[in-house]
Amino acid sequence: MLFNSYSFIFAFLPLALIGYFTLNHLKQVSLAKTWLIAASLYFYTFYSFNNLPILAMSLLMNYFIGHSLHSELKWISKQNLFRFGLVFNIGLLSFFKYSGFLLPLGLSFFTLQQVAFLIDSYEGLAEEKSFLDYAVFVCFFPTLISGPIVHYQLLMPQIASKDNKRFNLDLFSTGIFVFCMGLVKKVLISEAFASWAKPGFDEATSLDLLAAWKTSLSYLFQLYYDFSGYTDMAIGIGYMFNVKLPQNFNSPFRSKSIIEFWSRWHMTLSQFINTYLFTPIVRAMPKITFKSTMFATFTAMFIAGIWHGAGMTFVVYGALHGFALVVNHMWKKRKKKLPPFMAWFLTFNFINITFVVFRAKDLVGAIKVLKGMFGFTGVVVPKVIVKSVGPLKDFGFKMGTYLQPTDYALIFMLFGAFYLIFKAKSSLELEKEFKPETKVAVACGLAFVFCFFGMNRITEFIYFNF
Amino acid sequence: MSNSEILHVVTTIIQEVLELPDLNVTVNTSAADVDEWDSMTHIQLIAAIESKYKVRFALGELQALKNVGDMIELIQKKLNK
Repeated sequence: MLFNSYSFIFAFLPLALIGYFTLNHLKQVSLAKTWLIAASLYFYTFYSFNNLPILAMSLLMNYFIGHSLHSELKWISKQNLFRFGLVFNIGLLSFFKYSGFLLPLGLSFFTLQQVAFLIDSYEGLAEEKSFLDYAVFVCFFPTLISGPIVHYQLLMPQIASKDNKRFNLDLFSTGIFVFCMGLVKKVLISEAFASWAKPGFDEATSLDLLAAWKTSLSYLFQLYYDFSGYTDMAIGIGYMFNVKLPQNFNSPFRSKSIIEFWSRWHMTLSQFINTYLFTPIVRAMPKITFKSTMFATFTAMFIAGIWHGAGMTFVVYGALHGFALVVNHMWKKRKKKLPPFMAWFLTFNFINITFVVFRAKDLVGAIKVLKGMFGFTGVVVPKVIVKSVGPLKDFGFKMGTYLQPTDYALIFMLFGAFYLIFKAKSSLELEKEFKPETKVAVACGLAFVFCFFGMNRITEFIYFNF
Repeated sequence: MSNSEILHVVTTIIQEVLELPDLNVTVNTSAADVDEWDSMTHIQLIAAIESKYKVRFALGELQALKNVGDMIELIQKKLNK
């Protein structure tokens, strides 16, 4: 089921909330949890039941292993059981990611979440006795399909807390506010940019300079508003259930270095990679030196790249970012600072270029867009501009058509997006300042009505594919 | 060992690893406040603290650290085990 669909907003979500809080009100705590799991499974299997066996298998196996790590076992050592658990999860994920089978919905996310749980269980930080609680942790529908990746120790105490079992109007209204911001990001902003990004990547055979930049920048904003919109909606729904989910984005395009970018973009994934991949790699080395940490940095980033999928594009994407992180660390060591604008400009363009690789169907498609961006396929100037700045034709510029209304819309949206990124408050800042006032309610209502009409052509979220 | 003693030791370690001898460290200092404090220097800090106090942190514990205060609490917890 999609957050941005009529059936979710008008039927599923209200029923899920009413059932959950009613059962909790009647002191039927176990029934309330069962209700939440049933609702989550309905949400998960709304379009197809095909993925359910994989989710069930992963859940049962990890529960069994996690549980066994805390009991006395004769037939296997804890270390071997733990290793088996890791191999099982990584094997399951790799099999579906790289064998060409259709990737089960959410597998990448619920696998990582359970790997973290297994490691924490093995190291004595997490323990689960109740199967019901474990199933809530894995299936909780706001985070099931695309994160934010949440730790057992963060989610479950909130579900267990007595105070959180009562409907909380303050948190509910915060939830609606955050959900509305996410809805606007997805339905009004991301969808618009998607319509400009798609033709350049999927239809055109070659792109001139302006068309290539239009394509790449549109995708950059499409991806950001799609995923951060999804996350806002997930966080908003979390609030409605009295659960505070972790932040996943922190104005990433304001970053002035690649190191900074990865601490602001898809933060729960970065933290997972840093904690459970980078740190063990460094610890496995005989000595912590600059070289060994750089090796670990590159390896961790590379794995993060191919976590997204099997294509060569993700291999290159991971390698480019791994390499950039190493260069960034080497530069930092020299303690020379770039002027802020320069630092931002380099970072932003590097991200934009690597997102082209990330989005393209294959490397040939990526090279097509990049060639255009670097001016190898010439420049086609719209007639309006040529007329006003004189005979550009003499300098080898080709003459295009007049600007169409969609071009003006794109220019407006690009300015708008840059404004939002630099000058406007982020959804996190807005959430902190949120007060349930009339004007906020009116704004939310208006935003919702606008989105309402945009939702008749519902589209999936990009991160459902990863 | 008192928290202020640990803070004193941790401060020295942070100043050495980040190569910032004059850095003012309080319990509220976090990685976000100091540009030099990134994933790479963080792992060096952890390793230095682990060898100083002869303790070993679990991976999941490292992610929960939000500031120096959390770090001191974690060291205290390990020492009292």
